[in-house]
Amino acid sequence: MQVKFEFAIYDEALDKFELDENIYLYELDDEQKQTYDLLKSKDLHLYNFFQESEAFKKWIKEEVYPDEIGKKIAICDINEISFRRFYFFKVTSADTHYEYFKKLFNVLHESDWQNREDVGREILEHLLVKRQTLIIELKADILEEE
Amino acid sequence: MNYKYINSMLSKMDEDLSTKGMTRRDAMKLAGLSGASFMMGGSSLQAMEKDEKPISKSGVDAKIVIVGGGLAGMSTAARLTLNLKNPDITVIEPNKESVSYQPGQTLVAAGIWDANDISYKRDDFVPEGTKIIEDKVIDFDPMNNQVTTAKGQVIDYDYLIVATGLQLDFERIEGLEHAGRAYSTGDNSRLHKAIGEDSGICSIYTAEGATKTWEQMQKYIEKAKNAKNGEKVQFLFTHPGTPIKCGGAPKKIMYLTNARLKEAGARKNAELTMYPNGGTMFGIPEYHDAILEQFKREDFKWHYRHNLVGVEIENKIAIFDSQWQEKGPFDPVMKDFEVISKHEKIRVPYDFLHITPDAVAPREVAESDIGSAGGWVPVNKETLQHIKFKNVFSLGDIAQVPMGKTGGSVRKQYKVLVENLISHMEGKPLTSKYDGYTVCPLITDIGTVMLAEFDWSVRPTPSFPLDPLVERWVFWLMKVYALKPMTMYGMLSGKA
Repeated sequence: MQVKFEFAIYDEALDKFELDENIYLYELDDEQKQTYDLLKSKDLHLYNFFQESEAFKKWIKEEVYPDEIGKKIAICDINEISFRRFYFFKVTSADTHYEYFKKLFNVLHESDWQNREDVGREILEHLLVKRQTLIIELKADILEEE
Repeated sequence: MNYKYINSMLSKMDEDLSTKGMTRRDAMKLAGLSGASFMMGGSSLQAMEKDEKPISKSGVDAKIVIVGGGLAGMSTAARLTLNLKNPDITVIEPNKESVSYQPGQTLVAAGIWDANDISYKRDDFVPEGTKIIEDKVIDFDPMNNQVTTAKGQVIDYDYLIVATGLQLDFERIEGLEHAGRAYSTGDNSRLHKAIGEDSGICSIYTAEGATKTWEQMQKYIEKAKNAKNGEKVQFLFTHPGTPIKCGGAPKKIMYLTNARLKEAGARKNAELTMYPNGGTMFGIPEYHDAILEQFKREDFKWHYRHNLVGVEIENKIAIFDSQWQEKGPFDPVMKDFEVISKHEKIRVPYDFLHITPDAVAPREVAESDIGSAGGWVPVNKETLQHIKFKNVFSLGDIAQVPMGKTGGSVRKQYKVLVENLISHMEGKPLTSKYDGYTVCPLITDIGTVMLAEFDWSVRPTPSFPLDPLVERWVFWLMKVYALKPMTMYGMLSGKA
């Protein structure tokens, strides 16, 4: 089974993401396919699965961004499942993204007194931290000592 | 009071509870309402004391200063004296009536209680061994563990508890610039001079304002009674864009006005309209839905996203900033449409205007090192310890806790704070956690209350095994008879 991936490149100096507009195809083995089917409706669990998969990281290093050790990236889309809101969220972003983050970050309010700008700023503060956990750094392989 | 009716109501409640395998006493205990002697019979405060575990007092010595002697500050002082062998506690509070019972202001405004029912003297509730300084803190210096008062005293502390409460920002409203900022109790003559004696404008958010609300309400109910040719007397109610004390209060006064209009047979000649700044009636979806149904049932009108920004007192016009959102351009990166916020000012004529003012942190807190950018004291929402100064704690309305600013919140917070403060003094980790619990007895009529209880989960968290969305007579009794004794004699003694 092939899965479509899109990535964003992280610019550490500017603390900013830029969309890589290419689509990359990754072939899942049977075990990965089973896990993918299990997690495809589980949002960040799916992200974590790929983020921690050595085979997936090896594929990125060898085929997506070869010879770019040190580069920091983040997954934007896995097939139709999008994580773009984490990198490109703005206070004016659509209601779906806004409501998603209110729930994710437990942004509470007592009687809807907070306006969109206030809540949006709070979401952005949380996102500064959350984004860092989603970044995948392309590290050099560590040679095993003989 | 119709005792026959009460008894039949209590029997009905017993029936409901027995299907859940509970007695009324169990249910009240579960809800922490053992002060409700009216319902339980006998001296329940004594029973409560008997039920309490023996306290092992801490021998740690330190000078504790509490800024603010309202319900939060005084209850904390009382509980500290119960838990410390050698308490050295100073409360700094300028207002002689700081412990007055604020939740009763709604009932005063509807003519159910009078001003004397909620007025209490601070000095009658000072815990034994606690020193009171009748002064106002005007400067906080947490780097040097000092506060300075208006009379020039510099007071050192080892531990500081900030419980100043909040201020009501009437002066922000165009046309009321001379009103200044008010506290719930104390001298608010400046505010009432700016509003005028007989302008139709009122607010239950001050004790004096509650009495004036009842005066104005009666006047305009009379006008509705005499209205002819289909004329409708306009009753407007506002809800601002800041966190407020008791988020349900603006609706409570609307419901009570409605009840008094019905009682006078004048409801058909009146139009009641709510102007909430937000886009919902309540932050908890279940309560929002229930309130909306009540609004439809009572034929109320409402306009979301309207914030009161001005009044023309002479012309009797309220000016609202009306906000809405429109679909913006397509964002190719997010693959979705943006949202564009828009707003415009609208003018609405009124006969009776109930203002819920913006609530703000007092300037001396907001502009000091202990205040956050928004003014409130930034604390860990669970431990109530200041995020920067570890020997500073805060609770009540001034604490930056994203949950209701109510006495119900304070009732949970002050116990957590005392436990954590003593742990910190003893060099132990802070293990006690505030779960965000708050309670709003939402009066929906004279005789019925919907008890809105919730916590960080933003879901109804009922203390009783009864449907929390049903308006009940028993909760009205609890609001009118049980909560005040529990607050005044339970909480302020540091026990309930």
